Amino acid sequence: MVTGVIVVIAVISGIVILLILIGIGIYNSIVSLRNKVDNSWHQIDVQLRKRYDLIPNLVETVKGYAKHEMETLQNVINARKIGIDAKTVKEQAKAENMITETLKSLFALSENYPNLKADQHFLRLMEQLNGIESNIAYARQFYNDMVMQLNTRIQIFPGNIFARIFNFTARDYFEIEEIAAREPVKVQF
Amino acid sequence: MYEQIASNRAKTVFIIIGFIAFITAVGFAVGYYVDYRYGINSSYSILFMVFALILAIIMSFSSYYYSDKIVLGLTRARPISREENPQIYYMVEGLSIAAGLPMPRIYMIEDEGMNAFATGRNPQNSVIVFTRGLLDNLDDEELKGVISHELSHVKNYDILLGTIVVILVGMITIISNIILRSFIFGGRGRRSDRSSGGGILTLIFLIVGIALLILSPIIATLIRLAISRNREFLADSTGALVSRYPAGLANALKKISKHSEVRTASSATAHLFIANPFGSKSKVMFSNLFNTHPPTEERIRRLESMSLGVGVK
Repeated sequence: MVTGVIVVIAVISGIVILLILIGIGIYNSIVSLRNKVDNSWHQIDVQLRKRYDLIPNLVETVKGYAKHEMETLQNVINARKIGIDAKTVKEQAKAENMITETLKSLFALSENYPNLKADQHFLRLMEQLNGIESNIAYARQFYNDMVMQLNTRIQIFPGNIFARIFNFTARDYFEIEEIAAREPVKVQF
Repeated sequence: MYEQIASNRAKTVFIIIGFIAFITAVGFAVGYYVDYRYGINSSYSILFMVFALILAIIMSFSSYYYSDKIVLGLTRARPISREENPQIYYMVEGLSIAAGLPMPRIYMIEDEGMNAFATGRNPQNSVIVFTRGLLDNLDDEELKGVISHELSHVKNYDILLGTIVVILVGMITIISNIILRSFIFGGRGRRSDRSSGGGILTLIFLIVGIALLILSPIIATLIRLAISRNREFLADSTGALVSRYPAGLANALKKISKHSEVRTASSATAHLFIANPFGSKSKVMFSNLFNTHPPTEERIRRLESMSLGVGVK
Protein backbone atom coordinates (compact mmCIF):
# COMPACT_ATOMS: atom_id res chain seq x y z
CA MET A 1 0.00 0.00 0.00
CA VAL A 2 2.70 2.41 1.01
CA THR A 3 4.63 1.86 -2.22
CA GLY A 4 1.42 2.47 -4.16
CA VAL A 5 0.96 5.83 -2.49
CA ILE A 6 4.57 6.75 -3.18
CA VAL A 7 4.19 5.86 -6.86
CA VAL A 8 1.04 7.97 -7.15
CA ILE A 9 2.73 10.93 -5.47
CA ALA A 10 5.78 10.53 -7.70
CA VAL A 11 3.65 10.44 -10.85
CA ILE A 12 1.61 13.47 -9.82
CA SER A 13 4.66 15.53 -8.87
CA GLY A 14 6.31 14.45 -12.12
CA ILE A 15 3.35 15.74 -14.10
CA VAL A 16 3.31 18.98 -12.11
CA ILE A 17 7.01 19.56 -12.74
CA LEU A 18 6.52 18.84 -16.44
CA LEU A 19 3.64 21.32 -16.63
CA ILE A 20 5.71 23.96 -14.85
CA LEU A 21 8.58 23.44 -17.29
CA ILE A 22 6.25 23.71 -20.30
CA GLY A 23 4.74 26.83 -18.72
CA ILE A 24 8.16 28.43 -18.30
CA GLY A 25 8.93 27.63 -21.94
CA ILE A 26 5.73 29.26 -23.20
CA TYR A 27 6.13 32.27 -20.92
CA ASN A 28 9.69 32.81 -22.12
CA SER A 29 8.75 32.48 -25.75
CA ILE A 30 6.03 35.12 -25.36
CA VAL A 31 8.44 37.49 -23.62
CA SER A 32 11.08 37.01 -26.30
CA LEU A 33 8.51 37.65 -29.04
CA ARG A 34 7.36 40.77 -27.25
CA ASN A 35 10.95 41.99 -27.12
CA LYS A 36 11.29 41.30 -30.82
CA VAL A 37 8.21 43.40 -31.50
CA ASP A 38 9.67 46.24 -29.41
CA ASN A 39 12.97 45.97 -31.21
CA SER A 40 11.32 45.97 -34.63
CA TRP A 41 9.30 49.01 -33.59
CA HIS A 42 12.58 50.68 -32.75
CA GLN A 43 13.72 49.95 -36.32
CA ILE A 44 10.73 51.84 -37.68
CA ASP A 45 11.35 54.65 -35.21
CA VAL A 46 14.93 55.09 -36.41
CA GLN A 47 13.71 55.59 -39.97
CA LEU A 48 10.90 57.95 -38.90
CA ARG A 49 13.36 60.15 -36.97
CA LYS A 50 15.60 60.35 -40.02
CA ARG A 51 12.62 61.60 -41.97
CA TYR A 52 11.63 64.14 -39.30
CA ASP A 53 15.17 65.50 -39.40
CA LEU A 54 15.11 66.00 -43.16
CA ILE A 55 11.70 67.67 -43.45
CA PRO A 56 12.58 71.15 -42.03
CA ASN A 57 15.54 71.22 -44.37
CA LEU A 58 13.32 70.33 -47.30
CA VAL A 59 10.71 72.93 -46.37
CA GLU A 60 13.37 75.65 -46.20
CA THR A 61 14.74 74.68 -49.60
CA VAL A 62 11.32 74.70 -51.25
CA LYS A 63 10.43 78.03 -49.62
CA GLY A 64 13.36 79.63 -51.41
CA TYR A 65 11.81 78.81 -54.79
CA ALA A 66 8.08 78.55 -54.20
CA LYS A 67 6.95 81.14 -51.66
CA HIS A 68 3.34 80.98 -52.75
CA GLU A 69 2.88 77.34 -51.92
CA MET A 70 2.61 77.95 -48.19
CA GLU A 71 -0.43 75.70 -47.85
CA THR A 72 1.34 72.61 -49.11
CA LEU A 73 4.39 73.41 -47.02
CA GLN A 74 2.27 73.98 -43.93
CA ASN A 75 0.59 70.60 -44.45
CA VAL A 76 3.97 68.90 -44.44
CA ILE A 77 5.01 70.74 -41.28
CA ASN A 78 1.75 69.91 -39.52
CA ALA A 79 1.92 66.25 -40.50
CA ARG A 80 5.47 66.09 -39.14
CA LYS A 81 4.34 67.59 -35.85
CA ILE A 82 1.48 65.11 -35.52
CA GLY A 83 3.97 62.32 -36.21
CA ILE A 84 6.38 63.51 -33.52
CA ASP A 85 3.56 63.85 -30.97
CA ALA A 86 2.01 60.47 -31.78
CA LYS A 87 1.73 58.13 -28.80
CA THR A 88 0.25 54.88 -30.08
CA VAL A 89 1.10 52.71 -33.05
CA LYS A 90 -2.24 53.59 -34.67
CA GLU A 91 -1.67 57.33 -34.31
CA GLN A 92 1.87 56.97 -35.56
CA ALA A 93 0.77 54.97 -38.59
CA LYS A 94 -1.85 57.56 -39.41
CA ALA A 95 0.61 60.44 -39.05
CA GLU A 96 3.23 58.71 -41.19
CA ASN A 97 0.71 58.08 -43.93
CA MET A 98 -0.12 61.77 -43.78
CA ILE A 99 3.54 62.75 -44.07
CA THR A 100 3.95 60.44 -47.04
CA GLU A 101 0.90 61.96 -48.75
CA THR A 102 1.88 65.57 -48.08
CA LEU A 103 5.42 64.91 -49.28
CA LYS A 104 3.97 63.43 -52.45
CA SER A 105 2.01 66.59 -53.13
CA LEU A 106 5.10 68.65 -52.36
CA PHE A 107 7.13 66.70 -54.88
CA ALA A 108 4.29 66.96 -57.39
CA LEU A 109 4.30 70.73 -56.87
CA SER A 110 8.00 70.92 -57.64
CA GLU A 111 7.10 70.02 -61.23
CA ASN A 112 5.90 73.63 -61.65
CA TYR A 113 9.21 75.12 -60.54
CA PRO A 114 12.02 74.21 -62.93
CA ASN A 115 14.61 76.05 -60.81
CA LEU A 116 13.62 74.05 -57.75
CA LYS A 117 13.74 70.83 -59.71
CA ALA A 118 17.26 71.65 -60.82
CA ASP A 119 18.47 72.48 -57.31
CA GLN A 120 21.13 69.94 -56.31
CA HIS A 121 20.27 70.19 -52.65
CA PHE A 122 16.58 69.57 -53.35
CA LEU A 123 17.37 66.60 -55.56
CA ARG A 124 19.55 65.05 -52.89
CA LEU A 125 16.89 65.56 -50.23
CA MET A 126 14.29 64.01 -52.50
CA GLU A 127 16.50 60.99 -53.12
CA GLN A 128 17.18 60.58 -49.39
CA LEU A 129 13.50 60.88 -48.56
CA ASN A 130 12.63 58.27 -51.16
CA GLY A 131 15.23 55.94 -49.69
CA ILE A 132 13.87 56.46 -46.18
CA GLU A 133 10.35 55.95 -47.48
CA SER A 134 11.20 52.50 -48.79
CA ASN A 135 13.12 51.67 -45.62
CA ILE A 136 10.03 52.59 -43.62
CA ALA A 137 8.04 50.19 -45.76
CA TYR A 138 10.57 47.41 -45.14
CA ALA A 139 10.74 48.14 -41.41
CA ARG A 140 6.93 48.11 -41.31
CA GLN A 141 6.92 44.72 -43.00
CA PHE A 142 9.31 43.29 -40.39
CA TYR A 143 7.37 44.89 -37.54
CA ASN A 144 4.07 43.50 -38.80
CA ASP A 145 5.63 40.04 -39.20
CA MET A 146 6.75 40.14 -35.59
CA VAL A 147 3.38 41.46 -34.38
CA MET A 148 1.66 38.63 -36.22
CA GLN A 149 3.89 36.06 -34.52
CA LEU A 150 3.27 37.57 -31.08
CA ASN A 151 -0.47 37.96 -31.55
CA THR A 152 -0.81 34.42 -32.84
CA ARG A 153 1.16 33.08 -29.90
CA ILE A 154 -0.98 34.82 -27.28
CA GLN A 155 -4.29 34.18 -29.01
CA ILE A 156 -4.00 30.44 -29.57
CA PHE A 157 -4.18 27.81 -26.85
CA PRO A 158 -2.33 27.54 -24.46
CA GLY A 159 -0.68 30.93 -24.96
CA ASN A 160 -4.03 32.65 -24.38
CA ILE A 161 -4.13 31.36 -20.80
CA PHE A 162 -0.69 32.80 -20.08
CA ALA A 163 -1.61 36.03 -21.80
CA ARG A 164 -4.56 36.41 -19.44
CA ILE A 165 -2.58 35.52 -16.31
CA PHE A 166 0.44 37.69 -17.06
CA ASN A 167 -1.44 40.39 -18.93
CA PHE A 168 0.23 40.08 -22.33
CA THR A 169 -1.76 42.07 -24.85
CA ALA A 170 -1.96 41.82 -28.62
CA ARG A 171 -0.13 44.59 -30.47
CA ASP A 172 -1.46 46.81 -33.22
CA TYR A 173 -0.28 46.41 -36.78
CA PHE A 174 1.37 49.36 -38.46
CA GLU A 175 -1.13 49.77 -41.26
CA ILE A 176 -1.26 51.90 -44.36
CA GLU A 177 -4.70 53.40 -44.64
CA GLU A 178 -4.69 55.31 -47.90
CA ILE A 179 -8.08 56.95 -47.45
CA ALA A 180 -7.57 57.87 -43.82
CA ALA A 181 -4.23 59.33 -44.76
CA ARG A 182 -5.74 61.73 -47.28
CA GLU A 183 -8.62 63.01 -45.20
CA PRO A 184 -6.85 64.82 -42.35
CA VAL A 185 -5.30 67.24 -44.86
CA LYS A 186 -8.40 69.38 -44.74
CA VAL A 187 -8.40 69.58 -40.94
CA GLN A 188 -6.16 72.58 -40.53
CA PHE A 189 -7.86 75.08 -42.86
CA MET B 1 13.58 28.88 -38.86
CA TYR B 2 14.97 28.53 -35.33
CA GLU B 3 15.33 24.77 -35.76
CA GLN B 4 17.32 25.55 -38.87
CA ILE B 5 19.67 27.86 -36.95
CA ALA B 6 20.08 25.34 -34.15
CA SER B 7 20.77 22.54 -36.61
CA ASN B 8 23.35 24.63 -38.48
CA ARG B 9 25.14 25.46 -35.25
CA ALA B 10 25.08 21.81 -34.17
CA LYS B 11 26.41 20.70 -37.55
CA THR B 12 29.17 23.29 -37.35
CA VAL B 13 30.24 22.04 -33.93
CA PHE B 14 30.04 18.47 -35.22
CA ILE B 15 32.21 19.26 -38.23
CA ILE B 16 34.76 21.08 -36.09
CA ILE B 17 34.95 18.13 -33.69
CA GLY B 18 35.18 15.73 -36.62
CA PHE B 19 37.94 17.84 -38.08
CA ILE B 20 39.92 17.89 -34.83
CA ALA B 21 39.47 14.12 -34.45
CA PHE B 22 40.57 13.53 -38.03
CA ILE B 23 43.70 15.67 -37.76
CA THR B 24 44.58 14.08 -34.42
CA ALA B 25 44.15 10.62 -35.92
CA VAL B 26 46.32 11.59 -38.85
CA GLY B 27 48.94 12.89 -36.41
CA PHE B 28 48.85 9.60 -34.58
CA ALA B 29 49.08 7.64 -37.83
CA VAL B 30 52.07 9.66 -39.00
CA GLY B 31 53.75 9.26 -35.61
CA TYR B 32 53.06 5.56 -35.68
CA TYR B 33 54.51 5.32 -39.15
CA VAL B 34 57.65 7.18 -38.06
CA ASP B 35 57.97 4.87 -35.08
CA TYR B 36 57.55 1.92 -37.34
CA ARG B 37 60.12 3.03 -39.87
CA TYR B 38 62.81 4.45 -37.64
CA GLY B 39 61.86 2.52 -34.56
CA ILE B 40 63.81 4.62 -32.01
CA ASN B 41 61.10 4.65 -29.39
CA SER B 42 57.38 4.27 -29.56
CA SER B 43 56.82 7.82 -28.31
CA TYR B 44 56.51 9.58 -31.67
CA SER B 45 52.91 8.52 -32.11
CA ILE B 46 51.88 10.29 -28.89
CA LEU B 47 54.04 13.32 -29.61
CA PHE B 48 52.65 13.71 -33.11
CA MET B 49 49.13 13.19 -31.89
CA VAL B 50 49.37 15.92 -29.24
CA PHE B 51 50.99 18.25 -31.71
CA ALA B 52 48.25 17.54 -34.27
CA LEU B 53 45.55 18.08 -31.66
CA ILE B 54 46.92 21.49 -30.70
CA LEU B 55 47.33 22.41 -34.35
CA ALA B 56 43.78 21.28 -35.16
CA ILE B 57 42.31 23.35 -32.33
CA ILE B 58 44.22 26.44 -33.45
CA MET B 59 43.13 25.86 -37.05
CA SER B 60 39.49 25.45 -35.99
CA PHE B 61 39.49 28.66 -34.01
CA SER B 62 41.21 30.66 -36.71
CA SER B 63 38.90 29.28 -39.38
CA TYR B 64 35.92 30.30 -37.25
CA TYR B 65 37.16 33.87 -37.01
CA TYR B 66 38.88 34.32 -40.36
CA SER B 67 37.09 31.97 -42.73
CA ASP B 68 35.11 34.81 -44.33
CA LYS B 69 38.32 36.66 -45.14
CA ILE B 70 39.86 33.50 -46.57
CA VAL B 71 36.79 32.89 -48.72
CA LEU B 72 36.75 36.49 -49.93
CA GLY B 73 40.44 36.17 -50.75
CA LEU B 74 39.99 32.84 -52.54
CA THR B 75 37.27 34.25 -54.77
CA ARG B 76 39.13 37.55 -55.22
CA ALA B 77 36.23 39.67 -54.02
CA ARG B 78 36.73 43.36 -53.16
CA PRO B 79 34.52 45.68 -51.13
CA ILE B 80 32.31 48.14 -52.97
CA SER B 81 31.64 51.56 -51.49
CA ARG B 82 28.33 53.31 -51.14
CA GLU B 83 29.49 56.01 -53.57
CA GLU B 84 30.41 53.44 -56.18
CA ASN B 85 27.00 51.80 -56.25
CA PRO B 86 24.41 53.60 -54.07
CA GLN B 87 21.59 51.62 -55.64
CA ILE B 88 22.76 48.27 -54.34
CA TYR B 89 23.32 49.80 -50.91
CA TYR B 90 19.73 51.09 -50.81
CA MET B 91 18.40 47.68 -51.74
CA VAL B 92 20.53 45.67 -49.32
CA GLU B 93 19.82 48.16 -46.53
CA GLY B 94 16.07 48.01 -47.06
CA LEU B 95 15.87 44.25 -47.37
CA SER B 96 18.04 43.66 -44.32
CA ILE B 97 15.64 45.87 -42.38
CA ALA B 98 12.77 43.75 -43.70
CA ALA B 99 14.58 40.57 -42.68
CA GLY B 100 15.43 42.06 -39.29
CA LEU B 101 19.18 41.72 -39.84
CA PRO B 102 22.08 44.12 -39.41
CA MET B 103 23.45 45.56 -42.63
CA PRO B 104 25.94 43.13 -44.20
CA ARG B 105 29.11 44.31 -45.92
CA ILE B 106 28.95 44.30 -49.72
CA TYR B 107 31.70 42.86 -51.92
CA MET B 108 32.08 42.32 -55.63
CA ILE B 109 33.92 39.88 -57.89
CA GLU B 110 35.10 41.26 -61.23
CA ASP B 111 33.53 38.64 -63.46
CA GLU B 112 30.94 38.82 -66.21
CA GLY B 113 29.32 35.60 -65.01
CA MET B 114 26.17 36.17 -62.96
CA ASN B 115 26.41 34.80 -59.46
CA ALA B 116 26.36 35.73 -55.77
CA PHE B 117 27.06 34.27 -52.34
CA ALA B 118 27.07 35.18 -48.67
CA THR B 119 29.71 34.41 -46.07
CA GLY B 120 30.65 35.22 -42.47
CA ARG B 121 30.25 33.56 -39.09
CA ASN B 122 27.07 35.33 -37.91
CA PRO B 123 24.67 38.06 -39.08
CA GLN B 124 26.78 40.74 -37.35
CA ASN B 125 29.80 39.71 -39.41
CA SER B 126 28.19 38.83 -42.70
CA VAL B 127 29.25 39.69 -46.22
CA ILE B 128 27.25 39.48 -49.42
CA VAL B 129 29.25 39.10 -52.61
CA PHE B 130 27.94 39.83 -56.10
CA THR B 131 29.66 39.43 -59.43
CA ARG B 132 29.84 42.42 -61.72
CA GLY B 133 27.83 40.49 -64.28
CA LEU B 134 25.00 40.09 -61.80
CA LEU B 135 24.89 43.78 -60.88
CA ASP B 136 25.03 44.81 -64.54
CA ASN B 137 22.48 42.43 -66.00
CA LEU B 138 19.68 42.09 -63.46
CA ASP B 139 16.92 44.64 -62.97
CA ASP B 140 15.99 45.94 -59.51
CA GLU B 141 13.29 43.35 -58.76
CA GLU B 142 15.59 40.51 -59.76
CA LEU B 143 18.45 41.90 -57.68
CA LYS B 144 16.11 42.20 -54.70
CA GLY B 145 15.22 38.53 -55.19
CA VAL B 146 18.90 37.53 -55.12
CA ILE B 147 19.65 39.77 -52.11
CA SER B 148 16.71 38.28 -50.18
CA HIS B 149 17.95 34.78 -50.98
CA GLU B 150 21.41 35.63 -49.64
CA LEU B 151 19.97 37.35 -46.57
CA SER B 152 18.05 34.15 -45.81
CA HIS B 153 21.34 32.25 -45.82
CA VAL B 154 22.64 34.83 -43.37
CA LYS B 155 19.59 34.55 -41.15
CA ASN B 156 19.65 30.72 -41.14
CA TYR B 157 23.37 30.63 -40.26
CA ASP B 158 23.95 28.70 -43.49
CA ILE B 159 26.87 31.06 -43.99
CA LEU B 160 28.62 29.82 -40.84
CA LEU B 161 28.38 26.17 -41.81
CA GLY B 162 29.12 26.75 -45.49
CA THR B 163 32.17 28.89 -44.79
CA ILE B 164 33.62 26.65 -42.08
CA VAL B 165 33.25 23.72 -44.47
CA VAL B 166 35.28 25.55 -47.13
CA ILE B 167 38.23 25.90 -44.81
CA LEU B 168 38.13 22.67 -42.82
CA VAL B 169 37.32 20.40 -45.73
CA GLY B 170 39.90 22.24 -47.79
CA MET B 171 42.53 21.58 -45.12
CA ILE B 172 41.58 17.90 -44.83
CA THR B 173 41.95 17.52 -48.57
CA ILE B 174 45.34 19.21 -48.59
CA ILE B 175 46.66 17.23 -45.63
CA SER B 176 45.42 13.90 -46.93
CA ASN B 177 47.01 14.62 -50.30
CA ILE B 178 50.37 15.39 -48.69
CA ILE B 179 50.31 12.28 -46.55
CA LEU B 180 49.07 10.04 -49.28
CA ARG B 181 51.90 11.18 -51.49
CA SER B 182 54.54 10.74 -48.84
CA PHE B 183 53.24 7.23 -48.23
CA ILE B 184 53.35 6.36 -51.90
CA PHE B 185 56.68 7.93 -52.76
CA GLY B 186 58.47 7.60 -49.43
CA GLY B 187 57.34 4.14 -48.51
CA ARG B 188 59.63 2.15 -50.77
CA GLY B 189 62.54 0.02 -49.53
CA ARG B 190 64.20 0.62 -46.17
CA ARG B 191 61.83 -1.70 -44.47
CA SER B 192 64.42 -4.46 -44.32
CA ASP B 193 66.67 -2.37 -42.04
CA ARG B 194 64.58 -3.07 -39.05
CA SER B 195 63.24 -6.10 -37.40
CA SER B 196 59.66 -6.88 -38.34
CA GLY B 197 58.35 -6.03 -34.88
CA GLY B 198 54.92 -4.52 -35.57
CA GLY B 199 53.97 -7.43 -37.75
CA ILE B 200 50.45 -7.90 -38.93
CA LEU B 201 48.95 -5.23 -36.64
CA THR B 202 51.09 -2.50 -38.19
CA LEU B 203 50.19 -3.65 -41.65
CA ILE B 204 46.47 -3.47 -40.86
CA PHE B 205 46.96 -0.05 -39.36
CA LEU B 206 48.73 1.21 -42.46
CA ILE B 207 46.03 -0.18 -44.72
CA VAL B 208 43.29 1.43 -42.64
CA GLY B 209 45.24 4.69 -42.60
CA ILE B 210 45.68 4.73 -46.35
CA ALA B 211 42.05 3.78 -46.91
CA LEU B 212 40.99 6.67 -44.69
CA LEU B 213 43.19 9.04 -46.60
CA ILE B 214 41.83 7.91 -49.94
CA LEU B 215 38.29 8.14 -48.61
CA SER B 216 38.63 11.58 -47.08
CA PRO B 217 38.13 13.62 -50.27
CA ILE B 218 35.01 11.57 -50.93
CA ILE B 219 33.81 12.17 -47.39
CA ALA B 220 34.53 15.84 -47.86
CA THR B 221 32.47 15.90 -51.06
CA LEU B 222 29.60 14.17 -49.34
CA ILE B 223 29.62 16.65 -46.46
CA ARG B 224 29.48 19.49 -48.91
CA LEU B 225 26.56 17.95 -50.76
CA ALA B 226 24.68 17.23 -47.58
CA ILE B 227 24.78 20.80 -46.48
CA SER B 228 24.00 22.52 -49.73
CA ARG B 229 21.11 21.28 -51.81
CA ASN B 230 18.03 21.50 -49.66
CA ARG B 231 19.03 24.77 -48.14
CA GLU B 232 18.94 26.39 -51.54
CA PHE B 233 15.22 25.61 -51.76
CA LEU B 234 14.76 26.82 -48.22
CA ALA B 235 16.62 30.07 -48.86
CA ASP B 236 14.55 30.57 -52.04
CA SER B 237 11.31 30.37 -50.14
CA THR B 238 12.46 32.36 -47.09
CA GLY B 239 13.90 34.93 -49.46
CA ALA B 240 10.58 35.20 -51.24
CA LEU B 241 8.97 35.93 -47.87
CA VAL B 242 11.41 38.78 -47.31
CA SER B 243 11.10 40.36 -50.74
CA ARG B 244 7.37 39.48 -50.95
CA TYR B 245 7.92 38.91 -54.66
CA PRO B 246 8.90 35.34 -55.61
CA ALA B 247 8.84 36.19 -59.31
CA GLY B 248 11.84 38.51 -58.82
CA LEU B 249 14.08 35.63 -57.82
CA ALA B 250 12.51 33.29 -60.39
CA ASN B 251 13.32 35.73 -63.18
CA ALA B 252 16.79 36.29 -61.76
CA LEU B 253 17.46 32.54 -61.73
CA LYS B 254 16.34 32.28 -65.33
CA LYS B 255 18.91 34.89 -66.34
CA ILE B 256 21.60 33.55 -64.03
CA SER B 257 21.28 29.96 -65.23
CA LYS B 258 22.29 31.04 -68.72
CA HIS B 259 25.65 32.37 -67.59
CA SER B 260 26.57 31.61 -63.99
CA GLU B 261 30.26 30.72 -64.49
CA VAL B 262 32.67 32.43 -62.12
CA ARG B 263 36.35 32.01 -62.93
CA THR B 264 37.61 32.45 -59.37
CA ALA B 265 35.27 29.82 -57.94
CA SER B 266 36.74 26.44 -57.06
CA SER B 267 35.29 23.14 -55.94
CA ALA B 268 35.98 24.29 -52.36
CA THR B 269 33.75 27.35 -52.64
CA ALA B 270 31.19 26.19 -55.23
CA HIS B 271 28.52 25.26 -52.69
CA LEU B 272 28.36 28.83 -51.38
CA PHE B 273 27.08 30.32 -54.63
CA ILE B 274 23.43 30.92 -55.50
CA ALA B 275 23.84 29.01 -58.77
CA ASN B 276 26.49 26.50 -59.85
CA PRO B 277 29.60 28.63 -60.60
CA PHE B 278 30.83 26.04 -63.10
CA GLY B 279 27.77 26.61 -65.24
CA SER B 280 24.86 24.29 -65.77
CA LYS B 281 25.98 22.97 -69.13
CA SER B 282 28.62 20.50 -67.95
CA LYS B 283 26.20 17.59 -67.80
CA VAL B 284 27.99 14.35 -67.13
CA MET B 285 26.42 11.10 -66.13
CA PHE B 286 25.30 11.20 -62.47
CA SER B 287 26.10 14.90 -62.45
CA ASN B 288 22.78 15.43 -60.75
CA LEU B 289 23.85 13.14 -57.95
CA PHE B 290 27.07 15.02 -57.28
CA ASN B 291 25.86 18.51 -57.99
CA THR B 292 26.08 21.01 -55.17
CA HIS B 293 23.01 22.81 -56.48
CA PRO B 294 19.49 21.62 -57.18
CA PRO B 295 18.41 21.97 -60.82
CA THR B 296 17.54 25.59 -61.53
CA GLU B 297 14.39 24.59 -63.42
CA GLU B 298 13.07 22.97 -60.26
CA ARG B 299 13.85 26.06 -58.18
CA ILE B 300 12.15 28.33 -60.70
CA ARG B 301 9.13 26.04 -60.82
CA ARG B 302 8.72 26.16 -57.03
CA LEU B 303 9.07 29.94 -56.97
CA GLU B 304 6.54 30.31 -59.74
CA SER B 305 4.05 28.20 -57.85
CA MET B 306 4.60 30.51 -54.86
CA SER B 307 3.90 33.61 -56.91
CA LEU B 308 0.95 31.98 -58.72
CA GLY B 309 2.53 33.12 -61.94
CA VAL B 310 2.31 36.81 -61.10
CA GLY B 311 5.15 38.85 -62.57
CA VAL B 312 6.93 35.89 -64.14
CA LYS B 313 8.64 36.71 -67.38
